[in-house]
Amino acid sequence: MQLTKETGIRFISHLEYAHTLERALCRAKLPVAYSEGFNPHMKFSLASALGVGVASQAEFAEVELAVPELDVQQAQEAIAQNLPWGIQIKAVDLVESTANKLMASAAGASYEVIVPCHRQQESVLAAYNKAESVIYKKPLPKKKGQFKTVEVKSFVPSIKGVFLESHVTLTFDILITATGSMKAVEVLQILQEQFCLDIDLPEADIRRINIYRLDKKGRKLPMLSANNH
Amino acid sequence: MRKELPISILSSVQKPERYTGMEFGSCMKDLSTVKVSIALAFPDVYEVGMSYLGFRILYYILNQDPEVAAERTYAPWTDMEDKMRAAQLKLTTLESTRALKEFDFVGFTLQYELAYSNILNMLDLGGITVLAQDRGEDEPFVIAGGPCVYNPEPLTDFVDFFIVGEGEEVMPELMNLCKSWKAEGKPGGRAGFLQRVVKLAGIYVPSFYDVTYNEDGTFAGIKPNNQLAPQTVLKRIVKDLNAIMFPTSDIVPYGKIIHDRIMLEIFRGCSRGCRFCHAGMVYRPVRERRKEVLKDLAHKLVEATGYDEISLVSLSSADYSCLAPLIHELVQELKEERVSISLPSLRIDSFSVDIAKEVQAVRKSGLTFAPEAGSQHMRDVINKGVTEENLMQAVGAAFANGWSSVKLYFMLGLPEETDEDILAIADLAKKVQWKYKEITGHGGCHVTVSVASFVPKPYTAFQWFGQNSLEEIKRKQNMLRDALKIKNITYQYHAALTSVIEAVFARGDRRLGKVLYAAWQDGAKFDGWSEHFSFERWQQAITAQGLSIEFYANRQRNNQEIFPWEHVQPGVDKAFLRREYEKALVGELTKDCRHGVCTGCGVCQKLDAKIIDWKEEK
Repeated sequence: MQLTKETGIRFISHLEYAHTLERALCRAKLPVAYSEGFNPHMKFSLASALGVGVASQAEFAEVELAVPELDVQQAQEAIAQNLPWGIQIKAVDLVESTANKLMASAAGASYEVIVPCHRQQESVLAAYNKAESVIYKKPLPKKKGQFKTVEVKSFVPSIKGVFLESHVTLTFDILITATGSMKAVEVLQILQEQFCLDIDLPEADIRRINIYRLDKKGRKLPMLSANNH
Repeated sequence: MRKELPISILSSVQKPERYTGMEFGSCMKDLSTVKVSIALAFPDVYEVGMSYLGFRILYYILNQDPEVAAERTYAPWTDMEDKMRAAQLKLTTLESTRALKEFDFVGFTLQYELAYSNILNMLDLGGITVLAQDRGEDEPFVIAGGPCVYNPEPLTDFVDFFIVGEGEEVMPELMNLCKSWKAEGKPGGRAGFLQRVVKLAGIYVPSFYDVTYNEDGTFAGIKPNNQLAPQTVLKRIVKDLNAIMFPTSDIVPYGKIIHDRIMLEIFRGCSRGCRFCHAGMVYRPVRERRKEVLKDLAHKLVEATGYDEISLVSLSSADYSCLAPLIHELVQELKEERVSISLPSLRIDSFSVDIAKEVQAVRKSGLTFAPEAGSQHMRDVINKGVTEENLMQAVGAAFANGWSSVKLYFMLGLPEETDEDILAIADLAKKVQWKYKEITGHGGCHVTVSVASFVPKPYTAFQWFGQNSLEEIKRKQNMLRDALKIKNITYQYHAALTSVIEAVFARGDRRLGKVLYAAWQDGAKFDGWSEHFSFERWQQAITAQGLSIEFYANRQRNNQEIFPWEHVQPGVDKAFLRREYEKALVGELTKDCRHGVCTGCGVCQKLDAKIIDWKEEK
């Protein structure tokens, strides 16, 4: 299913968001499957973790059912009624349990960022887009002072921007690969620190617009077949 | 239109989810159809306040009326407060995000004396004049209720009127009164509304009374200065809890709160008669909900919230007359939905290992008991009515069934307490460990001993008792610490300093309003949080007013003394409390009136109510 994380709840953590969805599915009385064992848990997963502070139009969640059939329309209505004010449901789709997991099929995410910017700096984005390599030293959370070197261009090939008087709107895709992905805020940090983009980072309004799959030719496909309708 | 807080602020404070709102079950009304609005204000952070059942009940009941908007607001943590003040943002509710000053009422709950400074701070942050007498015509009425309302005097400078007792009936009455006053064009202004509201039973309007003091500083008396104001204000109660609405839906927060589960109130009141216990006196009489009613509520709440745990709450849940069948049936009926049942506390003498096993059926956690005192002498003084044998039986049964750790709650600084009584706490903890060895054949039992320092409260048998001095409390804490340096025993104790200030306000008078105001201006807030509490700040504010800590906290009050809280009544007779105090001094017990004879506390007669216990009814 495709869900949103509205701007009002952007600071809810990924875990809290996931937990909230589980409770909503519970209230919606969906025939969901549970794991065996002493503390059974719902067979539920989210496609790609969203950073705290980021709103989203496209969160994808997957839940395994305990039954073979389901009226998708009814299920969507039941879930809609049981979601909190900060989450909306956009689409629901039913697939065979043998289908690829969402988590594995997500190939990239599209972002839109509106951030205060005091100069018209189209040249900054041109420089980024022309650069062959941009290196980001990602601090390792558990090892102080140590870094992991990331090739940013392999995740974010290009960035578009529209500069207005006091703001810039940036749009870009971040690829999700076998080696991982990047956070949108890290991309902004790089633009600020390495390319001198004059932005007020703490005020950045970051929104995930979509998550997509790629076909064999590298063309974007929607996550759910329901998205095609 | 909801106004979201700036991203730059939310991204720079701890736990931004405290300020989010938009939860499932929260009530966001179309304000164009709303005639009266009230902000239910909890003077602590979101995750503490959201766990408070009283507001969950009132929120639900008040919002049943489409013309009433009941919303929520909590104290912002200090990091957020700094940002709000710097950006000149007002404290708002979570629902409509309107500033508190936009509401008709701002209603505070008084759970704990050390939260009072937060009330002043929240008013100020919400754009409301802190002192009631200076409040303008268009400002909200600041109201307050809850357990500390039985001595409202330290707050009378800030609160327009108090709600005494249970709110389920009086709060909708108050909303209706406000609707008609507003519809008529607010005749008489604020004063006109107070003239109307004072006629409701259970409302105390402090500005309608004058107080006098004796030369020695003790309280001389209180007299109405308005002919509509009653001599005394008796609490409101719901006589039959089965006949009143209890929420069948609830707000479900995104993040973890303190009590992250359904709270189902199985009965109200407690008649055990522990002499230190404020709740045991002010919430009388005992009124149980029927098992069938509770089961129906439980099912509805599980469906409406998606929670996987129900806590059966009350002052002493093991005393519910139909507890075993209730738990058994709920556990069976809710097994399919993976819902477990829990009990917040267990009395040693009514502890049943069968019940404990059943409530632990899904998840296992430690057991907690509250012997309250270490020696039989002390337990008799406080009328706890449990014995060492009761405790040994309870822990023995628990150990035999696989538990290996227990937590024991005690108090120190009680009347008639000797050093032997303190050391008996350590002995009791050791005996619990020996019991474990006796039953399991090996050691390794973990005992946590948690010790609070006793604060005498109004309307208890110990309201005359002078609290132990700070030095004495510290001496006793240290003595116990030394006696508890034993393997596998953890000793926890509360800061003595906070209990002294708590004691000052618990039995304080109107003169403390100026102390509270001065301490707040000097930065007092979140006094219940040790990192923000400053004893020196309070000490200075008290002495600056020519008052003393000793006078309020440590002074033994004599039999003839009139107390500053006697005009606000939970219904318990002063003569009964005095008898209880005198019996305490000789260690004489008083039986629970629930199943035996009336002990003459006077509550049922004064309130024209009766005990409702379903076993006794049959």
